[in-house]
Amino acid sequence: MAEKLLEIKNLKQYFNQGKANEVRAVDDISFDIYRGETLGLVGESGCGKSTTGRSIIRLYDATAGEVKFNGVSVHGKKSKSDLKIFNRKMQMIFQDPYASLNPRMKVLDIIAEGLDIHGLTKSSKERKDRVHELLETVGLNKEHANRYPHEFSGGQRQRLGIARALAVEPEFIIADEPISALDVSIQAQVVNLLKELQEEKGLTYLFIAHDLSMVKYISDRIGVMYFGKLVELAPAEELYNNPLHPYTQSLLSAIPLPDPNYERTRVRKSYDPTSHNYEDGEEIAMREVTPGHFVFCSAREFESLKLTSAARV
Amino acid sequence: MEKILEVKDLQLSFHTFAGEVKAIRGVNFDLLKGETLAIVGESGSGKSVTTKAIMRLLPESSSEFKSGEILFNGKDLTKLTDKEMQKIRGKDISMIFQDPMTSLNPTMTIGRQITEPLLKHQKVGKTEAKKIAVDLLRMVGMPKPELRIKQYPHQFSGGQRQRIVIAIALACNPQILIADEPTTALDVTIQAQILELMKDLQKKIDTSIIFITHDLGVVANVADRVAVMYGGRIVEMGTVDEIFYNPQHPYTWGLLSSMPSLDTAEEKLYAIPGTPPDLLDPPKGDAFALRSEYALAIDMEQAPPVFQVSDTHFASTWLLHPDAPKVEPPLSIIERMKKFPGSRYYEGVRTNG
Ligand SMILES: Nc1ncnc2c1ncn2[C@@H]1O[C@H](COP(=O)(O)OP(=O)(O)O)[C@@H](O)[C@H]1O
Ligand SMILES: Nc1ncnc2c1ncn2[C@@H]1O[C@H](COP(=O)(O)OP(=O)(O)O)[C@@H](O)[C@H]1O
Ligand SMILES: [Mg+2]
Ligand SMILES: [Mg+2]
Repeated sequence: MAEKLLEIKNLKQYFNQGKANEVRAVDDISFDIYRGETLGLVGESGCGKSTTGRSIIRLYDATAGEVKFNGVSVHGKKSKSDLKIFNRKMQMIFQDPYASLNPRMKVLDIIAEGLDIHGLTKSSKERKDRVHELLETVGLNKEHANRYPHEFSGGQRQRLGIARALAVEPEFIIADEPISALDVSIQAQVVNLLKELQEEKGLTYLFIAHDLSMVKYISDRIGVMYFGKLVELAPAEELYNNPLHPYTQSLLSAIPLPDPNYERTRVRKSYDPTSHNYEDGEEIAMREVTPGHFVFCSAREFESLKLTSAARV
Repeated sequence: MEKILEVKDLQLSFHTFAGEVKAIRGVNFDLLKGETLAIVGESGSGKSVTTKAIMRLLPESSSEFKSGEILFNGKDLTKLTDKEMQKIRGKDISMIFQDPMTSLNPTMTIGRQITEPLLKHQKVGKTEAKKIAVDLLRMVGMPKPELRIKQYPHQFSGGQRQRIVIAIALACNPQILIADEPTTALDVTIQAQILELMKDLQKKIDTSIIFITHDLGVVANVADRVAVMYGGRIVEMGTVDEIFYNPQHPYTWGLLSSMPSLDTAEEKLYAIPGTPPDLLDPPKGDAFALRSEYALAIDMEQAPPVFQVSDTHFASTWLLHPDAPKVEPPLSIIERMKKFPGSRYYEGVRTNG
């Protein structure tokens, strides 16, 4: 059985809490991430994907909830040294590689930043060698170490971002829309690189995206968010073949595919959140409809989903 | 069908500190009345520059028009004075961009922004213009248009702003609408709504659309015909079915193969190796040769001419030369070709005629 690397329990992240402009960016979500897997997180902009990632990695202090890494709670009060170890184990890659790379720093120093913070190299030669090795790992070469970020293309910058994250040898990487700004052919290069690194180093990914076809390709399981809630979580194939939440169905039906015949007949479903007709006091929760396939639904919906799923088999 | 726009041998450069960027290196295409022509290709391939040249929106100080003609209803747009061009822009030809805020003025109500082209180009009075503005907003699916014309751009969501920009672009029933990545920044569900809206409106006012995008799913959805650009040239052009089910250029093969398909679980995605050519010093032969496993010796020496595949299908690759060796396209492309009656891999029943 797969081992849980992260356990996220009842995580909440409210902004401007108690004020008129309160935003419940992440509103009580729970899920696990298994060691070595890629969990995809999709949903429309503003639904809380980035905030989920940022709360997990403690860029924000969560409003409520718990995050366990390797069985140890990482939120709440922590000693400096514990935090430092934890920070090393989790790294983040961002959508806009340019904005996340200091334009006045040479590639050598950008990539070595984590090495320096954590004191991972003992001499300047070792530091340089390690950076050269990292550049080669991500498909660049050591000559690149003396250049500045603006001298690189979008795809190359994303490779720099990946090299920087890898420098401290993390176990877990949160990739927040890492390919959204790249061209299709370059997206494929970066996705292949991420997959190779995962196999080589046994990395675990949380892969945030709004491009649903790439997500299916890279993810083992996928979670769908809607207005701060996780509404469905299932193995990637299963989610695409048998979406159960009406929001997921609407999202999938909106993706145009590179196939004109399919496009001529594709029917788009729209989602009306009032269509559930939930009654007062009805408990809406994540429920496991078939093994590993969770849907945010009421007990009533759960029964009918189980029936239709059983009929399908 | 009637040609509304003809771009002939367009060549255009930018002068920069680093030297001459040969951005457009001989582009030819026609736009037919009422059709949607999609232009696809990686960033830097020249999609935006081509359409900005049509609109004459390129910086005069740094861009150099080297040769070519852009015939709009038989009139060469490159020869018009700025004043004549202003009359065409926004009236006969309008343009929408990826970021709606590049076309919207943040300090002006959207009502004023929609009525402005009407007052400028069409001889209508203020009350009439306002009525048209409300109708246009309703047409692009904006709820409560009477109230919303009094609001400013920041009071709308990204998808709504793009609808407003479309309303402005369509205010004068243009003959050509150029849309440069209009849905790239939007979520899929909003994108789907905008695409449906554009197709709807196109039927209503019978406008021709040039739709620039790098998303092949969007192309399959909107296009009647497709032009594939690479390194400042169109390398392949055909009907949407010809490009998706019978592609001939290795670059088109690469583009189509690097999209994961939803129904197969490939172990590794096909990725076109390398990066696009440096247009400061473009390769002398086929610009894609250095990235192509199908490159022939002649590709390094001489740029391929245009070969005709069908009445509507053209591709610029030496592989189509009668003396070229017969190569097998990638497997995923052969799968596509099996569906196309004109291809050599067709698996269906051929009907004569
Ligand atoms: N620092 C912040 N302060 C206030 N609101 C925020 C902040 N960050 C995000 N939000 C809001 O939280 C919601 C979720 O945002 P985000 O997590 O960025 O969504 P996504 O990544 O899915 O697009 C949005 O409504 C956003 O405006
Ligand atoms: N104002 C400019 N000055 C110099 N070079 C430019 C300018 N605008 C575009 N280019 C160059 O022209 C080429 C084509 O650009 P563009 O048409 O914008 O590509 P895309 O296909 O992504 O729309 C690129 O190499 C780009 O760098
Ligand atoms: Mg985000
Ligand atoms: Mg462009």
